[in-house]
Amino acid sequence: MTMDNTQKKECKALSGLISPEEIEAARFCISYGISSGASMMRVSLSKSVLDSFSMLNGEMDKVAHSADRSLFLYIFADGRYGTFSTNDFSRSKLSLFISKALDTVRMLAPDPCRKLPDAGRKAKDAATGTELHLYDPEYQELTPERRLKKAMDSSIFKTLAPVQEYTVISEECEYSDSVDDNIVIDSEGFFGRHTETSFAICSEVTIQDAGGRKLSGYWWDSAPYFSRLDISGCSKAALGKAIEKIGPKRHSGGSFRMVVDRSVSSRLISPVISALNGAAIQQKNSFLEGTLGEKVFSGNLTLLDLARTDGKPGARIFDTEGVATKDCPVIENGRVNMYFINTYIAGKTGMQPTVEGVSRPVIRPFILDGGTTGSDRGCLSEEFEINLPDILRLCGSGIYVTGFNGGNCNPVTGDFSYGIEGFAFKNGKITHPIREMVVTGNMVRLWNDVIAAGTDARECTRWQIPTLAFDKADFSA
Amino acid sequence: MDKQYFLDTFNVTEPGLEELTASALAHGGAWADLYFENTLYGDLLLKDGQVTSGGLHTDFGVGIRVLSGEKTGYAYSENTAPQDMKEAAAAASLIASGSSGGREPGGRTAVSAKAADCSLLYPESRAWSLAQASGLVPFLEKLQERILFLDSRAIKIIARISYSHSDIMMFNSYGELTCDSRPMGSVTASVIFSNGTRSENKTVSRSFRCGEELLTEDLLEEMASEAVRDIDARFEARRPKGGKMPVVMGAGASGILLHEAMGHAFEADFNRKGQSIFADKMGRRVCDASINIVDDGTIAGNRGACSYDDEGVPGQKTYMVKDGILNSYLHDRISAGWYGVSPTGNGRRESFRYNPIPRMRATYMENGPALPSDIIASVKKGIYVDEFSNGQVKIGEGDFTFYVKSGYLIENGKLTAPVKDINIIGNGPQALSDIVCVGNDLKIDNGTWTCGKEQSVPVSCGIPTVLVKNLTVGGE
Repeated sequence: MTMDNTQKKECKALSGLISPEEIEAARFCISYGISSGASMMRVSLSKSVLDSFSMLNGEMDKVAHSADRSLFLYIFADGRYGTFSTNDFSRSKLSLFISKALDTVRMLAPDPCRKLPDAGRKAKDAATGTELHLYDPEYQELTPERRLKKAMDSSIFKTLAPVQEYTVISEECEYSDSVDDNIVIDSEGFFGRHTETSFAICSEVTIQDAGGRKLSGYWWDSAPYFSRLDISGCSKAALGKAIEKIGPKRHSGGSFRMVVDRSVSSRLISPVISALNGAAIQQKNSFLEGTLGEKVFSGNLTLLDLARTDGKPGARIFDTEGVATKDCPVIENGRVNMYFINTYIAGKTGMQPTVEGVSRPVIRPFILDGGTTGSDRGCLSEEFEINLPDILRLCGSGIYVTGFNGGNCNPVTGDFSYGIEGFAFKNGKITHPIREMVVTGNMVRLWNDVIAAGTDARECTRWQIPTLAFDKADFSA
Repeated sequence: MDKQYFLDTFNVTEPGLEELTASALAHGGAWADLYFENTLYGDLLLKDGQVTSGGLHTDFGVGIRVLSGEKTGYAYSENTAPQDMKEAAAAASLIASGSSGGREPGGRTAVSAKAADCSLLYPESRAWSLAQASGLVPFLEKLQERILFLDSRAIKIIARISYSHSDIMMFNSYGELTCDSRPMGSVTASVIFSNGTRSENKTVSRSFRCGEELLTEDLLEEMASEAVRDIDARFEARRPKGGKMPVVMGAGASGILLHEAMGHAFEADFNRKGQSIFADKMGRRVCDASINIVDDGTIAGNRGACSYDDEGVPGQKTYMVKDGILNSYLHDRISAGWYGVSPTGNGRRESFRYNPIPRMRATYMENGPALPSDIIASVKKGIYVDEFSNGQVKIGEGDFTFYVKSGYLIENGKLTAPVKDINIIGNGPQALSDIVCVGNDLKIDNGTWTCGKEQSVPVSCGIPTVLVKNLTVGGE
């Protein structure tokens, strides 16, 4: 594939970064809105560009180019509130749109809790968008040829020799990169900018085993910098994950130790984080309502929000309201240390406002000596590496979960039930894949039974959740 | 359809469209199409007793696709200025650089279906574009009042009206110009009940392709009644003992299992790539001869109704399984061309930002001969399920897991203790072949179902009461 000069010029123009003219459009929204009767306004201006090159069985299958921009308006007027968005930046259309938006706001019921955050809570250190070093200037130098090469280099389909145990049905792999630029301004003078790039590779391989059963494996990697993206091994890892599933056996149900792989362990902390959300608390839709300051979970569980970690995915200086983030413990030694309370929920509940949500949750690593709960004895420091083999060895025998398939967690009670896939293990060694099993329990009880959290959270993820182990979990089959 | 209205909306002319598709094919390729969209979304939210938030949102743009055989190039522009559209066309055309045209997609001459008149398929006597918040707020307030009147244990109610109207115009390199105007209105109520010691939640919703006339007293009463129905059972419900057992799927919302566990595996893209468990089963028996499974875009007012799909192919009723035999996959133009069949009108997309792929519309099983009461009476020990959520299926393996929100134990042919918070797991083809009895009470569920395969599209589902002789129930 080659590009002519016109195409090169077009590619160069699609930088994905917000232009001064677009910032002016955002400022126009505020000035027009205020002059038309709004008492306060916030505008979030977002722009993004995404390119992806997909391969199917070693051949290019799809090329996609996406360029988006939008204005999201938060309008406060006459004690009332509404949210509005448009991707039409022309002044004439914006004027009409804001006038109609104000008409809509005025028909709603007043709500005194709707207001902008206090100035003292807003971030003051996000002027350029690049303060956290999540933007890679090399993004601007990428050409379709380089992107295509990444995609082609990631494919292993044509190098695979036939084997007896299985047939490779398909290999789908995709290279993608994106730039996201976001500016938040409000009518009280706040200005915050966050700019980041992302480069990603993913692969899904489907095989058919000797018995005709189709099995799929998936793997991915990503990085905020082009040079840090490692494409080697992605398809190989996906193929390996498909092969591992050959020969599944039914496993009897019962109560077993459970190890959860780092690639899916965030599924188990997600209901806990959702239950700490102020809106869920205020709506009595949380099993952690009324637990602030109380020890609810195992004393070994510490969950931090490291929002300000330089150069790492998930880091951000301000939330959607413009409120400054900070590194802080969310759950400390099993005690609920904070809820995520935005300005509105603070007004509704009388609680102190914090931030709107978690940014980069990190679980502090630990491992219990002998795998016994109820004691801190033998809890290792973060200086030691704790990986999957260590954790399997600690647990001895049980179920190693590598995927969740459906299921749910009741937000009010914390009761959960998830379909799982994975392996049985014995004496610290994986024995065979399992199928058609579900794990059931309650989130509070589960996190009281946590006996290990590894040091192996994947660098590429926003949520830094490592391999986890739980002393007991109930499985049905 | 008033063609000129659409051309004016997008500020383009037919010669301009021809020029644009030609430029998209400048580097090669067999086919190019354009998808113009102008959408208005609105919503109002009742929370803590009042309607204190709402919004309006607009979205406008054109998606440009170039096909070279089965390969896809896709780009879009958020405005229809000629230069911006040409730049998007150039980006999409990259797929065809240096290649020959490849196989043409299906649908040039093979489409035998005729599009339904969209004014009949999507009745909209009161257009959402003219809706005022002041006219919608009372409905939410009355809905809240009615729920509180029916059950004083309701401690929190969140109710929402959301609506949209999309003007869609499609043009392709065959010179076909297609226009569609698609309304959608939805109402949802989420209620938390407390009996003093425990809390339970329940959500009810309705969604139709229609206008503001959706908001009737009948709808209000129907939703309020459903919101409070069987709450006593929810408070009493427990996880049962798990194991393998017969499972009776209640009519209506249980159809989501049909959508997830079987419907996705019938989508032709998975089959074209050999990934679906049904990839080599066309024309073969997959279940009892009394079973017919349909994907239907022709139900008036239904959330999954399509006068045209998003490739300009008329909406149709497609038998995926006819008399127990696998009869048809669900095709977009790419897969139809690959298989050499007529497209089935399943090429759908979330918006102009996405290329179309095979997607379901309203997926259901047709009626069988049995009385629902007889089906339940035939089970000595099993589970009756009337509400699923959070289903997931593995397309290759066919394994599925569904979370049961509510249901009952069946003991000696009778519904006894209420159950909740369990999973049902199984394998799609196996479960299909294990259906031993189909009821005569088909019900289409008109909730706000949205399918999330790569993109979000509105769908609906339905099923009569069905007995599956053996599934794994994950309980205590």
